[in-house]
Amino acid sequence: MLYPLIAGVLFGLYFSLVGIGLNLVFGVMRIVNLAHGDFLMLGAFVAFGVYTAAGLDPLVGVPIAFALFCVAGLLLYWILVPRLQRARDPEMLSFILFFGFSQVIEALTTIVFGTSERSIPSRELANSLSGVRAAIFGGEATNGPFQIFGLSFPASWVVAATVSVIAIGCVYLYLYRTRLGTLTRAVMSRREEAIATGINVDRVSAAAFGIGLGLAAVAGVFAPFMFGSFTPAFGIDATVTSFVVVVLGSLGNPLGTALGGVVYGVSYMLVQTYLSSWADLLPYVLLIAILLLRPSGLLGRRVRVA
Amino acid sequence: MSPDNVPILRVNDLLKRFGGFHALDGLTFHVSSGEILGLVGPNGSGKTTAINVISGLYAPDRGEVLFDGTSVGGMASHKLVHRGINRTFQVPKPFMSLTVRQNLEVARTYGRAGASGPSMSDLLEEYRLADVADRPAHDLTNVQQKMLDLVRALATQPRLLLLDELAAGLNPTELDWIAERIKALAKGGLAIIVVEHLMGFIEQITDRVIVMNAGKEIFEGTLAVAVKVPEVIEVFLGGEHAA
Repeated sequence: MLYPLIAGVLFGLYFSLVGIGLNLVFGVMRIVNLAHGDFLMLGAFVAFGVYTAAGLDPLVGVPIAFALFCVAGLLLYWILVPRLQRARDPEMLSFILFFGFSQVIEALTTIVFGTSERSIPSRELANSLSGVRAAIFGGEATNGPFQIFGLSFPASWVVAATVSVIAIGCVYLYLYRTRLGTLTRAVMSRREEAIATGINVDRVSAAAFGIGLGLAAVAGVFAPFMFGSFTPAFGIDATVTSFVVVVLGSLGNPLGTALGGVVYGVSYMLVQTYLSSWADLLPYVLLIAILLLRPSGLLGRRVRVA
Repeated sequence: MSPDNVPILRVNDLLKRFGGFHALDGLTFHVSSGEILGLVGPNGSGKTTAINVISGLYAPDRGEVLFDGTSVGGMASHKLVHRGINRTFQVPKPFMSLTVRQNLEVARTYGRAGASGPSMSDLLEEYRLADVADRPAHDLTNVQQKMLDLVRALATQPRLLLLDELAAGLNPTELDWIAERIKALAKGGLAIIVVEHLMGFIEQITDRVIVMNAGKEIFEGTLAVAVKVPEVIEVFLGGEHAA
């Protein structure tokens, strides 16, 4: 029982990272980015490229993916979102637009890279840090399993969970300790009031969109290690998972996603351990359960009508 | 500040369509610093749309909005706030989780159009919010939220203030009190446009009114004269009363 719980927490922290970008974008813009999982999939390709083409530790893919997709997010925002916001029903239109965008990303990635499954050996993640690990925890400078409460867990899971905690911490600092974050929270709270207060809502939204996509791509860097392999079709599953994590925590409250991720991760591991043949159903069952029992999410402060 | 006789805002031939519906259809008017102009008319006559266009919430489909001699039609709302145009909303939507004081701090920090102006404590005192200054906005009564919305707009030190049904929901004592406050603001040089359904309140505070119907101006002058004009009576009460 202890093993799936600890593994669930590790996975859960990672799932928080998977969902947090989607929630940030929704919170600020009221736009559901159904292509979120596809940016995650592209992040996995960044890790794959860093490892196979450049021969580097896939962890190097984290800053690269974040920077690359932050910029892509900013560009994409200025091309797509202002037009979307002018529509009568931007939330509904965003579903259609980003669903189409998701299909385009998947199709183009399939054309360029093919449909074959790709993986990266688990031990390669953070291999460059094994010396640091040996200095802190003792033992040899290898990237072997981590011991937690006497149980062994793959180092890649621990690294992914650690980076996720750092990334969520950075999101917290951005939202609560920076000027841009204050403006972001103002826009999330009351868009019209923020405009009337003199806040440049477009600039704030573009930053949030860029950061949201950057976080998705960072989560993607760890996808080959958490799920074993990936293909261009991986994006849809990732979007569904992100959506469940976000709805579990609270739609529109990015930090609620951290709780949603851990709840999802522990449930995922328990089902994998005791009812593995039902594991694929978990996201949908959880989604239906939370919508029936607590539609505002576990940390929801207000119920969304749309 | 512009001299009192020089309009700070000129609106020329404004057209705003929503599909086939013309919410504004050739609206032209002006307002000067220190003046209180009332926009009145039946529901759907285009009063709030006019305010939404002037405050940058909607871009006009045709026509010109000149603020202090500069064309600002279609300019983003936040830029207009920095230029000195601010507004209140029919239904105030403050940052609910922030306290009254924090709401004002956000407005003063990010929307300030002028360098000086009343202090935050003066504003809170003057608009009866000092006692609730440290309470979150969601704890306020509807009237207090309206005052917070007004003070939020004033905290940005506008030169043109647009008031959208500020008086709705206020009791007679509160109406007298807020009327005096609005008149004092105008005396201080602020140009004010008031959209309101309460005719007694409009009569009490305005120098001039524009009566609108179907997006057009049908009368301009004092309210005392307007109520004797058959066309105005017709749009408010129906054809049989106009004869």
